[in-house]
Amino acid sequence: MLGSSRIWKRRLPGAAAVFTAAVLALAGCAGGASTETTDKGSADSGNITWWGWTPDSAPAEAYIKAFNKVYPNIKVTYKKLTIDGYDAAIRPALASSVGPDVFDVAPGAANGSVEIYGVNAVDLAPAVQKLLGTDWKSKLAPIGVSSLTNDGKLAALSVGSNFAGSVWVNQDLFDKYGLKPPTNNDEWKQVCAAFKTHGIKCFVQGAAQTAFNEDTLQAISNNVKPGVWAQALDKKVPWTDPTIVKALTLWKGLFTDGIMQEGALGTQQYPDANNEFMSGKAAMVMMGTWYMQYSTVDGSTAAISGAGVGDPKPFTQLPIAFPDLAGTGNVGSLYGDADFGLAVNKKSKSIAAATTFATWLGTSEAGQQAVADILNDIPALVSVQPDWNSIKLVNPEAQRPALEKLISDAGKSAEPRLSTVSADLQTAIGVASTTVAAGQATPEQAAATLQSTAEKIK
Amino acid sequence: MTSITSQKTGARRPSPAPLPDRSRKRGGRPSGLPWIMPAFVFVVGLLYYCIIETGYLSTLDWDGTSPTPTSVGFGNYSQILQDPIFWKAIWHTVVFFIVTFTVQTAIGFVFAALLHSKIKLGAVYKVLVFTPVVLAPATMAPVFRQMFAADGQLNWALDHIGLGFLSQPWLAQSSTAMPVIMFITVWQFTGLTFVLYFAAMGQIDPETLEAARTDGASNLRVLMSIVWPGVRGTTVALAMLGVIGALKTFDVPYLVTIGGPNYSTEFLGTYIYRISIPSAHVGYGAALSILLLILALLGAITVAARANRKDGESSV
Repeated sequence: MLGSSRIWKRRLPGAAAVFTAAVLALAGCAGGASTETTDKGSADSGNITWWGWTPDSAPAEAYIKAFNKVYPNIKVTYKKLTIDGYDAAIRPALASSVGPDVFDVAPGAANGSVEIYGVNAVDLAPAVQKLLGTDWKSKLAPIGVSSLTNDGKLAALSVGSNFAGSVWVNQDLFDKYGLKPPTNNDEWKQVCAAFKTHGIKCFVQGAAQTAFNEDTLQAISNNVKPGVWAQALDKKVPWTDPTIVKALTLWKGLFTDGIMQEGALGTQQYPDANNEFMSGKAAMVMMGTWYMQYSTVDGSTAAISGAGVGDPKPFTQLPIAFPDLAGTGNVGSLYGDADFGLAVNKKSKSIAAATTFATWLGTSEAGQQAVADILNDIPALVSVQPDWNSIKLVNPEAQRPALEKLISDAGKSAEPRLSTVSADLQTAIGVASTTVAAGQATPEQAAATLQSTAEKIK
Repeated sequence: MTSITSQKTGARRPSPAPLPDRSRKRGGRPSGLPWIMPAFVFVVGLLYYCIIETGYLSTLDWDGTSPTPTSVGFGNYSQILQDPIFWKAIWHTVVFFIVTFTVQTAIGFVFAALLHSKIKLGAVYKVLVFTPVVLAPATMAPVFRQMFAADGQLNWALDHIGLGFLSQPWLAQSSTAMPVIMFITVWQFTGLTFVLYFAAMGQIDPETLEAARTDGASNLRVLMSIVWPGVRGTTVALAMLGVIGALKTFDVPYLVTIGGPNYSTEFLGTYIYRISIPSAHVGYGAALSILLLILALLGAITVAARANRKDGESSV
């Protein structure tokens, strides 16, 4: 026994040291402020990884291909994550030393929030200034710069902007059954009744994925009275404002009047609603400018195939203004933010190459032209427009004017979509939308609950 | 310990086999410490350290990445106690455990008893019952989402057998979403219950069964008076696993209903994820995790204590 305790006495410090080292190593993995890597590597060669929830793999590969024409020695590997799984994946990845070199962030406090992950990003302002000059801010879309600047640091470079407020229709289905896209509540009900007789779903929305309900509610609210929704987000009017209550009432009507598909509250926007639309089972869906990419032959074919259709045949997809539900004539509102920005990980071992990629895609003419031509985003570089002659649309005659109008209208919009919405407020809006839709709360009660929750949010 | 004592009292005992040189230099016996150290560091480091770290995080107001978390003491815990979603999740867990455990136990026990009798294609039935256990919920979730959708196969089948009046959007209603989650769980885990009961029934002394039959006991009587008490240990173990499993429920509700509609299928697991990841309230999520751990331990201890008390009573 005596010998045993002597051995323990001798070995205990060693064991304690090993244990402490293990604990400290784990503590190191647990997070905390990251410091920027000193050795930034080569700016025109190396291997870098890019993680994002957007764009889809096909546009990302197109961006990388265009980038490699200019920088053939930088190999970029894109990893696409699901929109819902992005936060769960990126948080530990950035806390570790083996995270991605480039990662997506979005304005606001919701998914991929720049407010949360900006702390892990390199300040890109010096690199952009070097490329575009001291007046660099004037050359980029202001919404992209302001919404991705965090604590005075340009945490990410906007690749482009996205706007919601439009409804996308399958024009081929409308033509097939001799129907016209609805412009008001009555037409919408009639169109939906007609589609129902043909076994086609009319308007699909994944109301279980509540973030997308916000787009529809904002469209209805702007239809009732433009700007009130944005003011409510800005805490300038309460959520109990009659406009919001009316919007919730009209939203409920979508469910009771046979416009929204049955079982919407159990459906997710992605993949369910998207797949219903892409597979031709539904005629209309609430989506934004990011859906422009499916107007092209390649984009449409890939999306239809991704929806599980064995023999994908592209169809004519067109954006229309959200129908005039309230009968006010206030239609066509669009609201948006910088879609996503490319941030460079502070801990990257290839900061220079990663910065080259982010700045090329976000600020160079060639990079932004690639973005414009894919039609996933409205370019951040204001001088760049889609090269329609090189874009293969499914039905150019019908689609090109509609897309040009959408891009032009989006350019005039200054109303934010998600950038001023915290995750908690987004949850509260989601609860209001689903409780009203399910009949568990009246619009007035839901608005009052929303207001009371919003007051508690810091 | 033994070998050290042996060296001291070597004159009275046969000498142990000679040790390798290196061991002798270190005090005459090979220490177990270096051998257990990797496992020790792994278990203590990863498991207990994580629990302690989570406990520490639960005292913070932190988004998970900010370098400046704020200490809030036990503020997160007091907030949780006033959180209606937390209590809703607890209630769902209790109902979920009672229903799924009861149904799984009944079906698993009956299947195990049936397959212990000589029935044709018994091996095929065993495979069929057990297969759902090995299927990943992530693989099956889209299938169930489609099956229970408003235009899904279940409603289609109901329409075609004249029960169209029962058709409804199963996942879109608070009243039906939870039963669907329970159904999926029962479908998935009854195979495990069955296998454990099947193995436990194999341990019952055949002579006891034979004696009961000689005394004229019916099948039902044998099942209830001999087999059921004979597999009591398995039932207790399953209850314990059921409590812990119910508290940890995450994948099926998250993948099928995202905890909705309107939190009607929210469990502690889905709530912790929702709070910690999309809402970035890591401190609050950590406090919920600690409560979950405490509840799981309490649940397991309660089940074990009740089982021990019953054992004590029956032995008296």
